[in-house]
Amino acid sequence: MSSAMSAWIDTLAQQHLDAAYNLGRWLLGNEHDAADAVHDAYLRAARSAHTYAGGNARAWWLMIVRNCCLAKLATRKRELPLRPVDEAAVQAPDAPADAVEEQAHAAQCRALLVAQLRALPEEFRETLVLREMEDLSYREIADVLGVPIGTVMSRLARGRALLQRALSPAQESKHGL
Amino acid sequence: MDCKDVLGTLEAYLDGELGRVEARALEAHVDACADCRAQLDRLDALRRALRDPALRAPAPPHLRERLRAAAAALPRARRRPAAWLRYAAAVLLAFGAGGVSVYLWTSTRGDDIARDLFASHWRALAATSPVDVPSSDRHTVKPWFAGKLAQAPLVQDFAEQGFTLLGGRIDYAGSERIPVLVYRHGQHLADVFVLGAAAAPASTSRRGYTLQAVTLGGQHAAIVSDMDAEESARLGALLSAAH
Repeated sequence: MSSAMSAWIDTLAQQHLDAAYNLGRWLLGNEHDAADAVHDAYLRAARSAHTYAGGNARAWWLMIVRNCCLAKLATRKRELPLRPVDEAAVQAPDAPADAVEEQAHAAQCRALLVAQLRALPEEFRETLVLREMEDLSYREIADVLGVPIGTVMSRLARGRALLQRALSPAQESKHGL
Repeated sequence: MDCKDVLGTLEAYLDGELGRVEARALEAHVDACADCRAQLDRLDALRRALRDPALRAPAPPHLRERLRAAAAALPRARRRPAAWLRYAAAVLLAFGAGGVSVYLWTSTRGDDIARDLFASHWRALAATSPVDVPSSDRHTVKPWFAGKLAQAPLVQDFAEQGFTLLGGRIDYAGSERIPVLVYRHGQHLADVFVLGAAAAPASTSRRGYTLQAVTLGGQHAAIVSDMDAEESARLGALLSAAH
């Protein structure tokens, strides 16, 4: 690998490290595995820099991160089929005991949303994470997932509908989401 | 737009993926229709909830450090001579082949852009549709770009001259979002990348596809297609005369 290319990979990985880590956390359910997957992805990106065929570099990097996460998930399913996910890892921070009622309610809504998002099937969860948290366009998401744009749109629609249905009791309560 | 159309495009609207004309029509409907407005509000509430920064933890400093350590441990020094050899071989080949442009692995910025433009063209050919806004009407295509980019390109249809405007899309060249105009000429598809002030890469070819540097309305642009050089030059002449 040329030193210019490795410098490019280093910059790319550092620049989009938060996005990579966040995707890993939501796909794998805990921080430790997410960090491992991002580390694997970095090594894979450095080895396969020559396969980059132009286009959106962030989408290329997140595609590698996602592949490393899926590889980890596959291993986990094979080796530890009953391993529970680390619930505490992505638990929303609890409001302090003396917080006003509204803060407590907001925290409660957030915890419910986190639980429901984690309960979504993987394909809807990852699409929503890339769209809403990482702000990727439909085309970028299509590149990361290796699916047509139409599939991205239908997964977003289905994922949102599932979340809305699951959260509707919370939405009917006094503050909404 | 009726309720059915609106409900089907609300999400694309919130995701910023709707053209300006459609977005205006949707807004007009939603202003007047309480049911659609309620669904828009529900989707927007969900969107805001998912964008709560509390749901997105930043990467911990130790991970950043871990990647730096991994970078330092990669066997780069050992590989440098190989890269140097590859470079030398490419230079020799370039001279040996007598003017055939050879893509150097240690690329310059112009080469990076050319690579992006070829890749974008190939991706578009592989996609279900090469355009995000399918229209042969320049009065539709130009406003669509205007709603998404700071500067919309000059859009003109050359159907009478044999180059039919199919529509447009937005793609990346480096980290820049740039407009792409798509024309059909016989069985060929031609992408016109409007690069603006950035210099177009030198004309080149790759895997049977050609890239030709042209100007469009005073802006640098590049045609990427599998047309032969003569046809590509004809489209180039039409574009440079566009007004």
